[in-house]
Amino acid sequence: MMTLNRTFIFYAVALVGFILLPQLIAVKYYLHLSVLALIWVIAAQGQNLIQGYTGYVSIVQAGFMGIGAYSTALMGIHSDMPVWLTITLAPFVTAFFALLTGYPSLRVKGHYFAIVTLAFNMVIFIVLMNFHELTQGEAGITGIPKPGAKDGLFNWRDRETYYYFVLIIAVLMTALAALIVRSRIGQTLIAIRQNEDLVGAIGIAAWKYKLFAFVISAMFGGLAGAIYAHYQSFINPEIFGVAQSLDAILAVIIGGSGTIAGPIIGAFFVVFLPEYLRFADSFRLILYGLVLVLATIFMPRGIVGVTTDLMAKWGRGKT
Amino acid sequence: MRLTAITAAFALTATAAFAADKTLDIGVSDALTGGGAVYGLPQANAVNLAAKEINASGGIKVGDDTYMLKVIAYDDKANPTEASNAVRKLIDRDGVKYILGFCCSGATGAVASFIENEDAVMLVGNAAERSITTREIPNLTRTRPPADYTGAAAGTFVAEKGHKRVAVLGALDVGFYASYVDAFEKELNKAGGEIVSREAFGLKDRDMSPQLTKIRGQDPDAILVVGYVEPAAFIYRQAVELGIDVPRYGFTSGSEEQFLRVATSEQMEGVWDLRPTELTLLSASENGKAYHANYSAEFGIAPSPSSPYAYDQTYALKDAIEAAGTVEDTQAVAVALRELSVPDEVVMQYLPVDEKMFDVNGQAYTSNGAFQWQSGNWVFIQDLPSDAAAYSAFLSTID
Repeated sequence: MMTLNRTFIFYAVALVGFILLPQLIAVKYYLHLSVLALIWVIAAQGQNLIQGYTGYVSIVQAGFMGIGAYSTALMGIHSDMPVWLTITLAPFVTAFFALLTGYPSLRVKGHYFAIVTLAFNMVIFIVLMNFHELTQGEAGITGIPKPGAKDGLFNWRDRETYYYFVLIIAVLMTALAALIVRSRIGQTLIAIRQNEDLVGAIGIAAWKYKLFAFVISAMFGGLAGAIYAHYQSFINPEIFGVAQSLDAILAVIIGGSGTIAGPIIGAFFVVFLPEYLRFADSFRLILYGLVLVLATIFMPRGIVGVTTDLMAKWGRGKT
Repeated sequence: MRLTAITAAFALTATAAFAADKTLDIGVSDALTGGGAVYGLPQANAVNLAAKEINASGGIKVGDDTYMLKVIAYDDKANPTEASNAVRKLIDRDGVKYILGFCCSGATGAVASFIENEDAVMLVGNAAERSITTREIPNLTRTRPPADYTGAAAGTFVAEKGHKRVAVLGALDVGFYASYVDAFEKELNKAGGEIVSREAFGLKDRDMSPQLTKIRGQDPDAILVVGYVEPAAFIYRQAVELGIDVPRYGFTSGSEEQFLRVATSEQMEGVWDLRPTELTLLSASENGKAYHANYSAEFGIAPSPSSPYAYDQTYALKDAIEAAGTVEDTQAVAVALRELSVPDEVVMQYLPVDEKMFDVNGQAYTSNGAFQWQSGNWVFIQDLPSDAAAYSAFLSTID
């Protein structure tokens, strides 16, 4: 009960912090990064469901973001649908592709699953790059509209408006992830992570649950991609490559795999850290890599794990 | 009288000191690392060189003020998200209003998608994707002509050489290389020629012998190589190693030094580069020779042929600011850019449209040229047919 209260207070304070953030930020550039980080929160929460809770490392999250981004953009261009509808439909289009790819992928386990999903990400990238008639290839799609009418109630070109929009979606998706994890399905996913053979031995069709986690994870990615497309007004395949899928994995690991708070912290980490390291010029990526390697070695349970340990130690010290 | 003179002298000194204190920050967003750095890094250097020269010659005069340029450069890795972040940082945090560089099309397209809503002017250099200047973004100009403008001229040239069967090996998943080849093919077909094979490679590929082996089996009259410098150099080398003895044409814009890192001069002998008439020492104007010498002295390496696009941007910006009479009003500077004559200091050979450097789309045009590798150097052989006015009219019709 005490832990529950403490967790609730943590999330309440964090939410208040996020709500006040635009008022505290003097330079809008950081608001831009915060919008990107919140988009990554959505993608990382999805990644966490398959990686953190189910124990299957998927290297295709950015590919699914790409499917979401391109589907919302193309539906808007070719069928003149309103932005709200295309953003809503994008995760379902992504789910369709995830279902097609998930069924064969989840027949293999461990490293093999990771490699198969890696291959899917490469296939998605190649299709986006070469299906020029549909995706316009490397040149990308420009002029993707913002949600809402130009003379509507909200000015969607204003980053603050978009920030609050993404914040609401990120909070809802985080809540959805928490609900899934706390449900019977979530507990089964955790059981699969702990001992998949045992889950099978007691008569549970583990593949159904794994497929569920994979498809839901992809839907999170698709939604993140759709929101990204309308925020940047531009997409091209470069943004949805394997490197970005690795960023999603890192966000989960750095933040804290198998925790709800972990992907939130990790998403901000992978967006802000490379930007803060710009002062180092060409050493930036070396430093970034070094920080990630050290963090993974010395904080295998991520920032959330380290914080929990420190707080437990502090609590013991007081008693 | 003496007091008046002293007071006047003090006033002049104070004014001069005050003027010298004014600094105008200009930003560069370009690929300083990664695959695009072969184009991006020389561009960033070129902006720095131009800024240094402008400062040394007294800065930018705006009314009674004189502005010295300070360059803030960020690496965008030719990645769209990185480029958006870099430009947001320049505008929002550093307060920069004039952003130069932009070597690579994907990253440039991302910034072009939002720059119209910003209080800033964007000057694009080497990025060759046509769509960047088809939207008539009022605060965007580009010094490099689109790839298909050059591709059409190259197709005519190769057809005139009598080649009927041309095999293409290129980075065809990159939009502007594909559009170069499309325009090339159109002109080749008009002359009764055809492209017998379109083989692709990735920008990070280094072994193209499978594609070349296939091409060798098709017995073409010539091959056309389009792509970044390094893979293109590997192709030229491997073509010789595989005994392919047909004329090799290309679209790469690489310098001698860049090619010689991969291939020997003997392996490069006779290769053609069909591209905008960019910097080549043997054919350079006085400005070009001075640029080559100054750049080499400053950075200890020869400039890449396409780097002057960024150098020229800086001088175009200087003239536009002086013509607009303001550094604060970016709209006025953007309008002045569209009205600008070709500055005296530029290196590239621009073809003005309606006597202006940039057309209504914000697009500048250079002449196109055929360059050939001869004894270790790119030698300018001849101009390629380049109708800037006609292409400008065509560009205006594209939505």
